[in-house]
Amino acid sequence: MHKNDQMTPNERLAAFMTGSPMDRILAMPVVCSMSGMALGMTHKEKRSTALNEARAQAACYERFGNDLTITEYGLHGVGAALGSVLTDPEDAVPAIIKYALEDINNVNQLDMSRLELKNDKKFQLHLEATKILIDMVGKEAPTGVLISGPFTAAASIYRTENLLRATRKNPEKLHQLIKFCNEGLKMVYREFIKAGAVILLCDPIASGTILHRNQYLEFVLPYTIDLMKDIHEAKGMVCYHICGDTTSIVGDMVQSGCDMLSIDNRVDLEYTKKIAGSKVPILGNVDPVEIMYLGKPEDVDMAVKTCLQKAYDSPNGYIVASGCDLSGNIPLENIDQFMASVRKYGKWPLDPNNFL
Amino acid sequence: MTVLKAELLKRLSDGVVDMEEEAVIETCKEYVEAGYPALEGIMNGLVDGMNRASQLYEDEEYFVTDILLCSDAMYEGLAVLRPHLPSSEAEKIKPRGVIGVVEGDTHDIGKNLVKIMLETAGFEMFDLGRDVPLNSFVEKAREVSASFVCLSTLMTTTMPGMSTVVELLKEAGIREQVKVVIGGGPISKKFADTIGADGYSHNAVEAVKLVKSLLNIA
Repeated sequence: MHKNDQMTPNERLAAFMTGSPMDRILAMPVVCSMSGMALGMTHKEKRSTALNEARAQAACYERFGNDLTITEYGLHGVGAALGSVLTDPEDAVPAIIKYALEDINNVNQLDMSRLELKNDKKFQLHLEATKILIDMVGKEAPTGVLISGPFTAAASIYRTENLLRATRKNPEKLHQLIKFCNEGLKMVYREFIKAGAVILLCDPIASGTILHRNQYLEFVLPYTIDLMKDIHEAKGMVCYHICGDTTSIVGDMVQSGCDMLSIDNRVDLEYTKKIAGSKVPILGNVDPVEIMYLGKPEDVDMAVKTCLQKAYDSPNGYIVASGCDLSGNIPLENIDQFMASVRKYGKWPLDPNNFL
Repeated sequence: MTVLKAELLKRLSDGVVDMEEEAVIETCKEYVEAGYPALEGIMNGLVDGMNRASQLYEDEEYFVTDILLCSDAMYEGLAVLRPHLPSSEAEKIKPRGVIGVVEGDTHDIGKNLVKIMLETAGFEMFDLGRDVPLNSFVEKAREVSASFVCLSTLMTTTMPGMSTVVELLKEAGIREQVKVVIGGGPISKKFADTIGADGYSHNAVEAVKLVKSLLNIA
């Protein structure tokens, strides 16, 4: 347990879920892509072995005392297993350079068995990392696994621009592709749930910055509802996140049946509280780039304070989080400050005089 | 009876706005057969339609998918009309720009939208694609005597590459001649200022206004 806390993240989360008192408000900076930095590892070193991935998370937890440790199946996992080709940069997140599916009319040739645990080495690695991490920190802190949602999984198989064209020109095949992804994802989710991880379902390509609400309603939400149902049947818990400006779909996202909702910095937290706060706990939304990457500790302090002002009284509870994954050469002091500010302003019982 | 030019131009413009690729191709052929000038068909037909689509995008009536489909129709039409441009027009020098997604990143929808809008606005764009080695921006800018370079990224980890391009342009001694504009999800005006870029745009329509103002083009 972090020296400045009185409860472990597990105890705090349990208190949060049952509405019991806790030592401070929950804090979940998304320390995923950058986690290797806590041990001086590059991104490539971090992602190369299960042990490294787990050790990086354990090191973050030790230093920050953050309330959620995170492993990843990733956003490109489905595509990579099916034959999409990724870059392999030393210190950055890999990006897709070649897509498994060139012509959407060939969607029925995709081979579901390649997504199975026994056939996918990367899946095995990340699941192993999750198990090791839970062994290391599970007594104190929960572990979440970052996995793509259906639309982003489809975009890891088939080029996004053509995916968008297909929403008009070939909706039937596109539905088939997304349905395929959904069935694959169910299999993946279930393995991580079995290992004891919380599902962090991220669907960045379904962002309001890219899709119109109508496209979200037709091609994303029905599949997401189906997924959430399956996760719950498997006794899993799920936090739902879409990047960018999701203002127009926040109300729809809650309809998915998610257990928690996470929003990016492009969406107003107060608006989210109004639309979704009475249904689920909300997480957000310190700007991961402007504040966490480019800002100074005093900017972080101010940003955490502003978030609390906006959302501390959200009816189903509020968790201070970064708007999105922390990536790039983030000054670790900014994450230290993030936690220090939550401990300062979010001390229990919450006293609005501390931050208003 | 020959269809009036004005009517064909309207059909071209409407065809782009309505994303009707086939109709645009057919109308372009009809337009050429009637002997009307290709340049006018491009400017007052296809480009006019794309400009209307941009306006709809700005008004948030059109979204990314709409713009992509409108541009598909426009480019199909251009492929029919361009060969009929008189050589004096075809060879006319337009202001040139180099565009690409910086090394390490392959997300290129934003870049493609910006390129579409800039081409529509009359710039000649040299598209280096995605995951572009930083030095290639400089080499291409020099090779084609570009007036500006557009850099895009969606990933935080590749943002520093933009700063490197600015430095490389300086080292090559052409920074003064080449404006640098940047954009993409994690990018901000503040970041543009920090690395010494000339401008930042948060969307494709704004990018055109930005480039025009930097180059003093009305």
